[in-house]
Amino acid sequence: MAENSFQQLAEIAQQINETRSTNAKISCCAQYFQSFEDDKNLKLGAQFLGEGAFSSVSGKRATIGSRTYSTCAAEFCDIDYEKVFKPCKTALGSASEAIEKLMNNIEVARKKREPAQLSLREIKSIYEDIYNVSSRADKQHILRNAWKQMTPVEIKFFIRIMTRGSLRIGFEVKSVVSALAEAFGKNVEEVRYAHMITGSIGKTAILCKNDNLDEATFKLFHPLSFMLASPIESRAVENLDGYIAEEKFNGMRAQAHISGQQVELYSRDLNDITHSFPEIVQFFIKRNLSDVVLDGEICVFKNDEILPFQLLQKRMGRKKPGKEIIEKYPVLFISYDLLYHDNRPIFEKELRKRRNLLTKLSQNHDLPITNQFEVTDRDHLDELFDRALAHGNEGLMLKKVDSTYEYGQRRKSWLKVKKPGGTLDTVMMYAHAGSGKRGGYYSDFTLGIRVAEDERYEEEFIPIGKAYGGYTDEEMKRLNKRIKDLTVEKYGPTLGLIPEIVIELEFDDIQENKRTKANYSLRLPRFKAIRWDLNPDDADTLKDVEHMYQQKISRERLKQEENPSFYIESLDLETTRDDKG
Amino acid sequence: MKITKAGYHGILLPDLNIGFDYSGTDTQYTFISHAHADHMPRNRKSSVYCTPNTLKLMQRRGYKGDATIMDFGDSFETEKARITLYQAGHILGSAMVYVESDEGSLLYTGDYRTPPSPASEGFSIPDQVDHFITEATFGLPIYKWDSHENLGQEIRSFASKSLKYGYTPIFLAYNLGKAQEVMHLLAPLGQQVQIHGAGYKMCDVYEEAGIDLGNYESYDRDTCEGNILITTNSALNNGFASNVQKKRIAYCSGWATREAARSQLTVHKLIPLSDHLDFFELIRLCEEFDPQKVHITHTPNADVVQHYLDERNIDSRFLDMEIEEDD
Repeated sequence: MAENSFQQLAEIAQQINETRSTNAKISCCAQYFQSFEDDKNLKLGAQFLGEGAFSSVSGKRATIGSRTYSTCAAEFCDIDYEKVFKPCKTALGSASEAIEKLMNNIEVARKKREPAQLSLREIKSIYEDIYNVSSRADKQHILRNAWKQMTPVEIKFFIRIMTRGSLRIGFEVKSVVSALAEAFGKNVEEVRYAHMITGSIGKTAILCKNDNLDEATFKLFHPLSFMLASPIESRAVENLDGYIAEEKFNGMRAQAHISGQQVELYSRDLNDITHSFPEIVQFFIKRNLSDVVLDGEICVFKNDEILPFQLLQKRMGRKKPGKEIIEKYPVLFISYDLLYHDNRPIFEKELRKRRNLLTKLSQNHDLPITNQFEVTDRDHLDELFDRALAHGNEGLMLKKVDSTYEYGQRRKSWLKVKKPGGTLDTVMMYAHAGSGKRGGYYSDFTLGIRVAEDERYEEEFIPIGKAYGGYTDEEMKRLNKRIKDLTVEKYGPTLGLIPEIVIELEFDDIQENKRTKANYSLRLPRFKAIRWDLNPDDADTLKDVEHMYQQKISRERLKQEENPSFYIESLDLETTRDDKG
Repeated sequence: MKITKAGYHGILLPDLNIGFDYSGTDTQYTFISHAHADHMPRNRKSSVYCTPNTLKLMQRRGYKGDATIMDFGDSFETEKARITLYQAGHILGSAMVYVESDEGSLLYTGDYRTPPSPASEGFSIPDQVDHFITEATFGLPIYKWDSHENLGQEIRSFASKSLKYGYTPIFLAYNLGKAQEVMHLLAPLGQQVQIHGAGYKMCDVYEEAGIDLGNYESYDRDTCEGNILITTNSALNNGFASNVQKKRIAYCSGWATREAARSQLTVHKLIPLSDHLDFFELIRLCEEFDPQKVHITHTPNADVVQHYLDERNIDSRFLDMEIEEDD
């Protein structure tokens, strides 16, 4: 086999998939990494296995939808997309796996293909080509030509890498990091650090190979992965000694990189969101800061109140917000962590120390920062929690004062204490075939609320949300049995059901959403309980949903004057004050 | 020709007083294609026609009714029809039922496989068929089987490699048919095999039929480690070989085509060894017969098969029957 061929990478991925133990998977991958002579090929090999078609920091995405490559594959195999391809995809729970099998089984497709042992570089340039065109026809043209030169297993992984989904081989980026460490005899923590600093698994691989890990340094305007919090109920934390509390804002998590007049904002998925929030940029520019990186939350703040997330939504995703919308929904960046200061990264310092530096920065430059509270006991915690809710916030964050900034991790140094937004009794309307591990089962469900007595609708039930979690495997199997009897229609991978199963649905929040039939959608809907004891007449109605939404949005919010959620030396927030704006 | 369903189990030719894989006692002539549970009569008062091996296997599985033995190729005349059994290649004893009458000819396949299972009597078909009642368990073009030669090689190599590295190999295989087929494919290795009790009691029927199953004995928890083990997934979940720490598990079934089976069953190896024919053989056979009508049963994907038959101008319809996922 040609060295550095994509076929070799695909076979390694397949071999990793067929290996059960994590250590054996890592060894298999490590041996592969060791086989590279050339740096650039190693970089591509690591990137394809760990990150996708492009390195995350490149900001490039080979955007191609499942329908685009699926219809292209159906055409390649000369089969009907609706009548043949879709049932195949449903049976396997994976479009890419269906394509692999069809490319192998169908003679027309076999005849078109002449595997050419494409190199990793050639594959990379195909991904570039796809990135550089925008129409579906152009993308499909590139795909067709590429597939003609590939084997079925190459095609499967070519698609999975391209779509940046998981490779579905039980081997995520964490394991790729371990494999690099094993391949080049490095300490896993050092490799992980280099990966987080460079933001690129490919570059990390080269640093490992050439013994240059210490070159990995943090750079301004290259976003760092965010430290994440675990739900407190998911971690057995008995003792809250050593934790401090902050109110948890229901806003948008963001990272601000600032160097004098230059300001950039990054979202949690490391996208540049600077242009959506010009007043934050102005705000920081006026603060005259030397080089800093701040971690914090963007919230709508007006008349001394933090306003609900639903209003912030009007600002999210807007590339260039108009003056009117900025005045109506002014935003503020509230910082709670400092990651870069005095020309060096400080995320290895304890929270306590980072906080001291942040406080000083806030005092000297008028930056809003969260207030921290010592937690004395559980009663005190409850008190703080209630006050956070009174402010309109989501709950509390508990942070361990001696913890470092564990970028990209979700451990127990940060805990979130939240109250579910509410629950609704809903009716199961559609079941959708699962994919991956849940392939072969119906695992995603569209749930509806009752509008039978609602003069605005002719239906009995309309959808309110789609949930795919919160149940056990046993419950899923029982549901699948019941669904079989309730199916009245089949649309490809979706079953239309007689409304009968009642699900108690828990969610984080209700949002307005004009694109849905109900005009509302739920944030993070999940099963709370399958209510075998209830029948569809017991389901909640759209009126109930509207009522809940109104209550949320018009709820009295405690002003920030007393016991505020965040602190600022002088509250000279010109853009956030209605009277001045 | 009038063809009707008898609920979810069995098909009837009411005008000829004939039933296929039917549990009722109201037909005069009931033919049982093979001894799998979803085809076997469920009534102790049944009186059926079947091959000698099917009868023996049914009796091992608790069949108490009457049976008239028919050999492959022999014909049997009723007032209105002549019936002949053809080798179905599915499991030992499995037969397809060929009916000739004034209303034309009909072939009921039961479950079948071509090329045939090496642990069966083979596969043969009549020359001419007007009504083809066929199962289509694997009715999607994602299902295409490798040759028995290659699959056998894969099975043997999985077993010997596991043993070589100190692991006990376990094959998950349905206890009638698939289990014996796997044993037959393993026989050239000459290794000791232990098979779960439910499968064990079928084995001597295979040996009497001249099928080599190698060295085997019934599963014994205390001595099973280091042998090749054969069992079903449900037995494995209920403590089978749970005392063996180092084991490697292979799932042998047409459903092993699905990658998702790997994590759903927690197995190391997926071996798509099926005792049903694959999609491409099915379509090819329909083309070969070019019957008046194809009647499709036992499939979740009748629409797809019908779409392919439409394209070939072959008339078809779906006879909805329950399928047994256990393959």
